Amino acid sequence: MTGEGVAAGTPGRLQGIDRALPVWVAVVLVLVFLMALPLGWLVWMSVSTEAAGPTLGHYAAVLQSPAMLKALWNTVVLAFWVGLASVAVGAPLAWLTARTDLPATGLIRALVLASFVTPPFLGAFAWVMLAGPNAGLLNVLWRDVTGAADPLFNIFGMPGLVFVVTTYTFPYVYIMVANTLALIASDLEEAAAILGAGRFTAARTVTLPMVAPALVSGFILSVLQALALFGSPAILAMPAGFHTITTQIWSLFQYPPKIEQAAAISMPLLLATALLLLVQKRVLGRRGYAAVGGKGGQRRTIPLGVWRWPALLGCMVVMACAIFLPYGILAKAAFSRAWAQPLTWSNLTLGNFTFTFFEYSATRSAIVNTLELGIATASVGAVMVALLSYVANRRLIVGHQVVAFLALAPIVIPGVVLAVALFIAYTRPPLVLYGTLAILFVAYLTKEMPVGYAQSDATFRGIPPELEEAGRILGAGRLRILRDVTAPLARSGIIAAWCFIFIGVIRELSASIILFTPATKVMSVVIFDLKEEGQFGAIAVLGLVMLVLTFATVGLVQAVLGRDVLGVKD
Amino acid sequence: MLPIVARLFAFAAVVLFATVASAQDARVEAAKKEGKVVWYTSLALPSAEKVAKLFEAAYPGIKVEVHRTGSERILGRVMQELKANIKNVDVVHTSDAGHFVMFKGRGLLTKYTPAGVEGFPAGFKDKDGYYYGLRATVNAIAYNTKALSAAEAPKTWKDLLDPKWKGKLVTAHPGYSGVITTHVAALVNLHGWDYFKQLAQNRPMLVQSAVDPSGVVASGERVVAVNGGDYTFYQTKKKGNPLEIVYPREGVPLVVSPTAIMSFAPHPNASKLFTDFTFSREVQQVMADSEGLYTGHPEVTYPADKPKLSELKLLTVDPEELEKRGEEIRKRFVEIFGA
Amino acid sequence: MPGVSLKALTRRYGDVAAVADLSLDVKPGELVALLGPSGCGKTTTLRLVAGFLAPESGEIWVGERCLSSPRQVVPPERRRMAMIFQSYALWPHMTVAQNVAYGLRFKPGLARADRERRVTEMLRVVQLGGYEARYPGELSGGQQQRVAVARALVVEPEILLLDEPLSNLDANLREEMRFEIRRLHEAFGITTLYVTHDQAEAMVISDRIAVLERGRVVQVGTADEVFLSPRTRFVAEFIGKTNLVEGVAARPDTVTVGGLRLRVGAGGLTPGARVALSIRPHDIALATPGEATAAGVNTLRGMVERASFLGDSVDYQVRLADSDVVLRVVAPAAQRLRVGEAVALQVDPAACIALAAAEERA
Repeated sequence: MTGEGVAAGTPGRLQGIDRALPVWVAVVLVLVFLMALPLGWLVWMSVSTEAAGPTLGHYAAVLQSPAMLKALWNTVVLAFWVGLASVAVGAPLAWLTARTDLPATGLIRALVLASFVTPPFLGAFAWVMLAGPNAGLLNVLWRDVTGAADPLFNIFGMPGLVFVVTTYTFPYVYIMVANTLALIASDLEEAAAILGAGRFTAARTVTLPMVAPALVSGFILSVLQALALFGSPAILAMPAGFHTITTQIWSLFQYPPKIEQAAAISMPLLLATALLLLVQKRVLGRRGYAAVGGKGGQRRTIPLGVWRWPALLGCMVVMACAIFLPYGILAKAAFSRAWAQPLTWSNLTLGNFTFTFFEYSATRSAIVNTLELGIATASVGAVMVALLSYVANRRLIVGHQVVAFLALAPIVIPGVVLAVALFIAYTRPPLVLYGTLAILFVAYLTKEMPVGYAQSDATFRGIPPELEEAGRILGAGRLRILRDVTAPLARSGIIAAWCFIFIGVIRELSASIILFTPATKVMSVVIFDLKEEGQFGAIAVLGLVMLVLTFATVGLVQAVLGRDVLGVKD
Repeated sequence: MLPIVARLFAFAAVVLFATVASAQDARVEAAKKEGKVVWYTSLALPSAEKVAKLFEAAYPGIKVEVHRTGSERILGRVMQELKANIKNVDVVHTSDAGHFVMFKGRGLLTKYTPAGVEGFPAGFKDKDGYYYGLRATVNAIAYNTKALSAAEAPKTWKDLLDPKWKGKLVTAHPGYSGVITTHVAALVNLHGWDYFKQLAQNRPMLVQSAVDPSGVVASGERVVAVNGGDYTFYQTKKKGNPLEIVYPREGVPLVVSPTAIMSFAPHPNASKLFTDFTFSREVQQVMADSEGLYTGHPEVTYPADKPKLSELKLLTVDPEELEKRGEEIRKRFVEIFGA
Repeated sequence: MPGVSLKALTRRYGDVAAVADLSLDVKPGELVALLGPSGCGKTTTLRLVAGFLAPESGEIWVGERCLSSPRQVVPPERRRMAMIFQSYALWPHMTVAQNVAYGLRFKPGLARADRERRVTEMLRVVQLGGYEARYPGELSGGQQQRVAVARALVVEPEILLLDEPLSNLDANLREEMRFEIRRLHEAFGITTLYVTHDQAEAMVISDRIAVLERGRVVQVGTADEVFLSPRTRFVAEFIGKTNLVEGVAARPDTVTVGGLRLRVGAGGLTPGARVALSIRPHDIALATPGEATAAGVNTLRGMVERASFLGDSVDYQVRLADSDVVLRVVAPAAQRLRVGEAVALQVDPAACIALAAAEERA
């Protein structure tokens, strides 16, 4: 027996060390650095003073300011109603598509997905054109038809904000509930039916309690979305004369900036998010926040009878609000001189495109920046989450338990708060990144880490360790096995993680809006800039570009995974 | 499109000729080596881009990087970059003259007198020679002519306090726009803060840029703009939108928007070339003609359908006062209007 | 061909010792089965030998090489071993030939042609010639199993480790593969550790069986030895079915159970000590009382409580007269007794195995 020999007797010290260990340690250290540095600075900044020692003065200033308290309260109101409304819309939709003989379920699922990936600020912007109280197309139509003086619906204000945010948040509930319903065998419902419960009674008494955890966690996810959103309140709340906490934090960055107060007011947001996630984890039990996996028994569809078509109509109304109307008005605004006027020949123009791409100098560099950042973040991020989830799944180093925690931790950090933290951390030594694309890269990498990690973790869970062990015992080192066995098997899952990160990056606004500099604008920031100046046509054009990029990427994921990204298997 | 392009080329030819004739070769060469000039500007986006394109046509090889946002955002941006030790901007142009008082006080400006400003009125010139008014506009009221007749339209600032305008007004924001900061300062001097408290009772829609009210009124989303640069109203009206401008009798706040080269400008030669260019009679005339702006240039002529500055009662705010009161104005505005 | 020596290995998971002070010597070329119920530490032991786990104390030696100690663990890839997994662990993205050839990549100085030749030869040995280009997903369970075997053997390992390799196969195939693995072992003669919880499998395949309980080896021996002379109650119960009868030693060769007296073949008991006897159901002969010969040694009386016809035999449950002892008896099908019938039972003293008296119960 030849081969690389080990001398007789006790082996030397070096031979036992995993040669790949430096790789694992390095990637985990990067993760720790990414999380600890900004959060550490954030906490410190919230209690720091220029000269004297630590103070609670910034907290006092925040808590004694009526404007800040009002912003806090507005955020609570917004988040609560969005959560409730998302459940009210998402849960029935999930039940209808998962369990009943509703027609066109494939189409509805595709549209839910479309709503899921639509950047919410684009939706908010579109709804300004649809339901502005006076010029909004729907209100104009309403007045023309009914002759009423008052608008049907005023999008500016809390109800409008709740409506628009819900429109792009209900998919979270949908995904949770649909995935759970897909796991509950019909037997249980039928058992109830045999005992004399009617079809709908069975659904109410058996199905509902079983999906209750999914409902609660869908509610919490929606609340978290609403808490963290910046674009929609900036577009719909500020014109109506109120702030939410995110827009308030952002306005604290205006000159003269009050970064200490921004740090202090970030804390309640951070704590609330962490707390809600904790509750959600409890509710979901050990299944964690990710989509429930596993196989259920047989499922049979429930006939809706005469309600079939009205139910479809209801679904389509939701989809009209989320997709048809907003996309339609964006397309109209992109091609017309005046978006509020009818689309006649004289109103038709390609001028918005020429302005956006050839006259407005910020556009092209923003698109380039966005793509560069998207590709860089997704690539580095995909490699990182792959390595991290590998370390955690294979328990490669001491303390592997905290890897998952750290990688998922950014979920509790709303984008605006993360931006505040990064701004503080990277405008001073050791790493001065502000003013470069690097700070956006770091922000995106941190913010998208949980999404990528969850995807990658699921991938590695699906690769049994024996497949690696079989190779190792035959003579392959750990890195070699990673290359020969693990990587090829994980490839499609990692590509999917790449795409998720990429989609997240190209639509990111809430962190970018604080971290950009004129030399490092990205598409979302340009759209926001244009919005402040009321350049509807150019926004619509850029919005369409963003949607095309997003859907192209989604298409890629679906092709790679061979299923739809919502995670429900048909 | 076509007229603009044709004009641009014709104009570029003129400028090129003039440049060569005036034998500034050395300066131009130095500027070309720098390759670009970075311009933080509050001039409305299409106008700013137009000026940039004119310059690029006149001096091929020198790019203008336009970063257009509200005056107050520009201030925040510049100070933030300064703090982070980022030297990016060459030329700063905002509509809040207070900024330049502050910049000057902190030694952030290059002392530079653009060619051709000798004949400008005193209100357009810093007495120490650090900054000069590139353009001027006045705040005016605008209304949608489809919704209101001329008779129904408000005539004075005080008219806007009538409860009948509730839910029909739009205002831009002093936290974003220097034009509006100046406007609020001038009207507070005229009518006091009570005026704005009462105005807030009519729940105006809050937009950010002084450019935006024109669009909001043109689309019919709101009927009356309670402020905004009259040049944006003028442009909107010229495009055929149903909009009319009212210059209130109490007087109109005059906003002179200065420009200056930063002391740390990474492209100093290109900055000077660009600044000279923007003060040239040709560019000043373009601003007056197609943008509807006022300028300090004595030879510039104005469209017949625009009132002359001399015909208007102007409310002016001293830059020093703006510098001192800017923060207070923004703070109180937010308190009164909610955001 | 070296042997394997496990010296006082201990490995804990949290507070639980999965392997506790375990020692075992496997002679060169020998196939030893690690047999025990789930949780007995047999798989942990195998993974310690493979180098996937490090021992907390103890050492593992292969020939003259110390491969594992608490200070030092030679990584799996440098142990010159091969392993066959319960799940086969075939790589789904590689063809059968690629799977089998993988280990040969790490053999320096092996030409490509040699490699291919050895793969082809090995696939022929496991009767999978012609399947080179298939993917594992296209094979049946038995064929996958053969690929796993081929992949392990083709590298000519010093030590072969098998972790419940047959448990995913259906009953018929499992029986066939037992002989197949034994055949291959005899052909290649590789020192082998074979983990299983199936005593029949262990008996067919192995040269010796090491019975594990709670992380310790409780008995090592040939199939005969562990079956016929179990040392502990645990071994007796785990290896085949048995009747356990508790009693007290009356004489060095006699145990009393209630009013019954049983002669024990081995003798050497301490009078007065508590004794557990193992009597295999097959070792008890049944007769109707009329047929019974004169009351000989170890003749007992009882009544049939339950009879289950199993085809080639009948499984009886018999309650002994004058006691509450119930015995399982397996008798030939030719002789049929009815429930409620009185019977005479006869047990050869040699079939009454006295078990280690003091059995530690943690």
